[in-house]
Amino acid sequence: MSESLLKITNLNAGYGGIAVVRDLSIHVNPGEVVALLGPNGAGKTTTLLTISGLLKPIAGDIQLLGSSTTGDRPEKISRRGLAHVAEDRSLFFDLTVQENLRLGLTGNRETRSKSQENALDMFPALRPLLSRRAGLLSGGEQQMLAMARGLASEPKMLLVDEMSLGLAPIIVERMLPIVRRIADDTGAGVLMVEQHVGLALAVADRGYVLAHGELTMEGSAQQLRDNQSLLEASYLGGEAH
Amino acid sequence: MKEGIAYAIMGLGYGGFYALMAIGIVIAYKGSGVINFAHGAIAMYVAFQFSYLRSEGTFRFPWLDPIPTSFLNLPVTLSLSNGEPINFWIAVLLSLFTALILGAAIHYLVFKPLRNAAPLGKVIGAIGVMTYLLGVGSKHFGSNQPQPDGVLFPDKLLKNFLGLGLGVSAEALALAGVSIIAGAVVWFIYKYSRIGLATRAAAGNEKGAVLLGYSPDRLALFNWLLAAFLAGLVGILTGTVTGALGTGKFTGLIVPALGGALIGSMSSIPLAVLGGLLIGSLQTFVGTYVSGLSWFPAWLYSGARDSIPLVVIVALLFLRGKSLPIRGNIEEKRLPLAPYPKRIGKYVAIFVPLGFLLSAGFPGDFLFAGLNGRWGMALTTSLIAGMFGLSFVLLSGYVGQISLVQISLAGIAAFLTARLMSHYGPSDSNPFAVGGLHLPWPVAMVAGVAVATVVGLILAVPALRIRGVQLTVVTIAASISLYSFYFDNPKLTSLQGGSSYIIQPPTFFGIKFGSTGSQGLTDNPKFALFCLIVLAGLSVILANLRRGSSGRRFLAVRANERAAASAGVNVAKTKFLAFGIASAMAGVAGVAGAFQAGSTSAPMWDYGVGLSALAFCYLGGITSINGAILGGMIAGGGMVATFGNFHSPGLYSYIPIFGGMGMILTAIIHPAGQASIFQPLMRHFGSWLLTARGKEWGVVLRRLAPYLIGGGIWGAIGINPWRTDTYNRTWMIILGILIVLFVRNIVVQVKAAKAANALPDTNSLQEVTA
Repeated sequence: MSESLLKITNLNAGYGGIAVVRDLSIHVNPGEVVALLGPNGAGKTTTLLTISGLLKPIAGDIQLLGSSTTGDRPEKISRRGLAHVAEDRSLFFDLTVQENLRLGLTGNRETRSKSQENALDMFPALRPLLSRRAGLLSGGEQQMLAMARGLASEPKMLLVDEMSLGLAPIIVERMLPIVRRIADDTGAGVLMVEQHVGLALAVADRGYVLAHGELTMEGSAQQLRDNQSLLEASYLGGEAH
Repeated sequence: MKEGIAYAIMGLGYGGFYALMAIGIVIAYKGSGVINFAHGAIAMYVAFQFSYLRSEGTFRFPWLDPIPTSFLNLPVTLSLSNGEPINFWIAVLLSLFTALILGAAIHYLVFKPLRNAAPLGKVIGAIGVMTYLLGVGSKHFGSNQPQPDGVLFPDKLLKNFLGLGLGVSAEALALAGVSIIAGAVVWFIYKYSRIGLATRAAAGNEKGAVLLGYSPDRLALFNWLLAAFLAGLVGILTGTVTGALGTGKFTGLIVPALGGALIGSMSSIPLAVLGGLLIGSLQTFVGTYVSGLSWFPAWLYSGARDSIPLVVIVALLFLRGKSLPIRGNIEEKRLPLAPYPKRIGKYVAIFVPLGFLLSAGFPGDFLFAGLNGRWGMALTTSLIAGMFGLSFVLLSGYVGQISLVQISLAGIAAFLTARLMSHYGPSDSNPFAVGGLHLPWPVAMVAGVAVATVVGLILAVPALRIRGVQLTVVTIAASISLYSFYFDNPKLTSLQGGSSYIIQPPTFFGIKFGSTGSQGLTDNPKFALFCLIVLAGLSVILANLRRGSSGRRFLAVRANERAAASAGVNVAKTKFLAFGIASAMAGVAGVAGAFQAGSTSAPMWDYGVGLSALAFCYLGGITSINGAILGGMIAGGGMVATFGNFHSPGLYSYIPIFGGMGMILTAIIHPAGQASIFQPLMRHFGSWLLTARGKEWGVVLRRLAPYLIGGGIWGAIGINPWRTDTYNRTWMIILGILIVLFVRNIVVQVKAAKAANALPDTNSLQEVTA
């Protein structure tokens, strides 16, 4: 399994033909947690939206499980084994937690109940809430549901966008290790966008730093942690001067 | 009271019909966020299809052969059994198959391309489908009004039902039962099946559904098929419950059904079924039992039955104050930009005299010889339709309120003006004449328009709390109940037996400028001048509104009511202002229309007339003044239609069909309407006439010359073999040039759109640069 799950080469992505992300090349291997870091407006979310097909790439190639996704509709890309936990969580507020999970499940009856159990094992806090409407959950519970729903489809590649958005730091501290566990237990690759740099690098294997749509740093989590000053510079734009 | 209960139970037949329709409407809303005004039309088509299959064994495809030639014919009618009735079950299958074809076609051809359109675009799409089906329906099935046989327990009457003393037909009860069963099945699908769950999920958050691997298009297709299937079921099962079939009548039954769907908030199936049953039952209870009681006021008698859905809908939406579930679409396009009007004075200075010249005609000249005849009539019709269109531009284009009640306001103004102007009561020569105050026309007109404005303001009250498509539903219900309540109510109008008010030609300092009669299709150039001046005046008022601070407030409210409010815009005041002025404009148009006709009667102000007026205004371009005027030109009986009729007399019956297709295409391809295609032309045309220089003409002519020559040649020799009319071949040259220029224009537009395709909102951007 030396082949990368996700391999992006020279990607240009953006809105209305105007590239926000330029010449980006990243890859994610099985069982690996990769952090995509960078300041606001760096193009992190744009990158994830392009990977899952909600945005069409302007140039460059995205390979998922060894084959290109160019021109595929997002629902088809998703069925190939990609789960995307979106920034807005994209929950179905009118449906119950159980129904939300059910929509994520794939396969036959047996595998479906198994993968639902697995997802709930990761987030046991959801068990007592199964019959509650998703719209009534707290922010943390909603995020857990979004993650659990993504997991329920047994993805080979998981994209997590700003899991910590609007959550209390203590919840973030508890949720991030679960991402690590997902990668370790299921062998899936995880690409996560995160603003809590320290926490993210604590669980990630590797990291990429984007600034103004371009890759400014990459390396193992350890290397990035050691290069704290450079990292700060790319956030605050100090390096540009 | 026992009798009353019996009538309420009888009403369950209609109720079951409404409930079945309501389920279909809710399904379509869940599936693609469309309030499907065409649902009744689908049921209508299938009902006729079934009836014809059962009576003469013919199957009719829901389309026409559009090319009037002897070759290249599309099959339209299939005779399956040499005029013999066809087997019942085969007829059922074929009818349901028709419904499914319609559902799939509506999905693929209309609402899939409109998936991310602005709400008004979807409303127009639905109205377009309805208009199309109505047109095809009346073309195929004509004015025939067959009485279908009962399907469920025909001819079985339960005498003295439940000891209430009256007989109730088993068919009515069975229809109610079917609606409950169908509701239960659909409810079960949405609750437990995966595709049902996914539909509900996508309705709430489309992005989420896509990310989980569900295709919104496929979900929408499933729901359209289900909805169309139910509409087909309604068409087959209606039997004797709704009486004789009629294309318009059947389509109009959508309103009470919408009431039922709204009771279910467009999302709950059980409540929608309950609502449909309730409305049907209340209608018969009030319309047959309560209105027969001694205390019931006679003036209420006519409108009581048709007002029930309105009362229920308004009470529900207004009192509950909860909005319908909004779809969480990935992207939703906004209405096209409302262009900033410029050089209004110049426009008026050029087009008013030009119009007058046209209408006065050049004596003996071959080109304009016809203008005193039918062209004059067509011109005034277009001008009046343009005035009416301006009220849509203000209300829907600028403020984003989709109101379908404008036609009734026009009618109110016309009726009151007519009543106030008239003098003598019934006489030997006209036993139906209605007497009045004999006021001079300006006073009567002002009074009539003022009352229309007040009514418009009252109807604006719901708009403070009800938005978007819900307002459309309320206003269409208001329009239908105003029709039976006022226009068609002899107790209020004193018009006996469908007669009309006669209007004396208005005078100006002794000069009679009234229209010279609709019978001979001639028109008075002075009346054309009057219409031109009024239209110009209304346009100037609207342009100034748009340019001033009110215009900015209008657009702010259209864009986002909350944001507008937080920026200090008084939303309620702004809406009232818009509704008031738009009502006054509609009123003026109504009075002008009555002047033109020389009389006015109820059918002029039917809601269907209003729908087609909105549709033509949208075709012209609902966000600009030019659009309204252009819409007037292409409206029924206007310049373009008369031109077409002139060349192919049978064309008239095709207008709804092409109108419907045009609406759908405009909504999909070019939401800014045809006006933006002609905008550059219009913009330069005025200036050119004043400062035309040979050089500029030369440049344009050189660029267009190949098209002019090519089109002319094609027209001279190419069109001829395709024709079935008998008109002069010279006209074909002009027609050929026009067609070629039109196609060129579209190609240019599409190319420009493609070049700007990457940009998110191409249409509005073009508008800016145009």
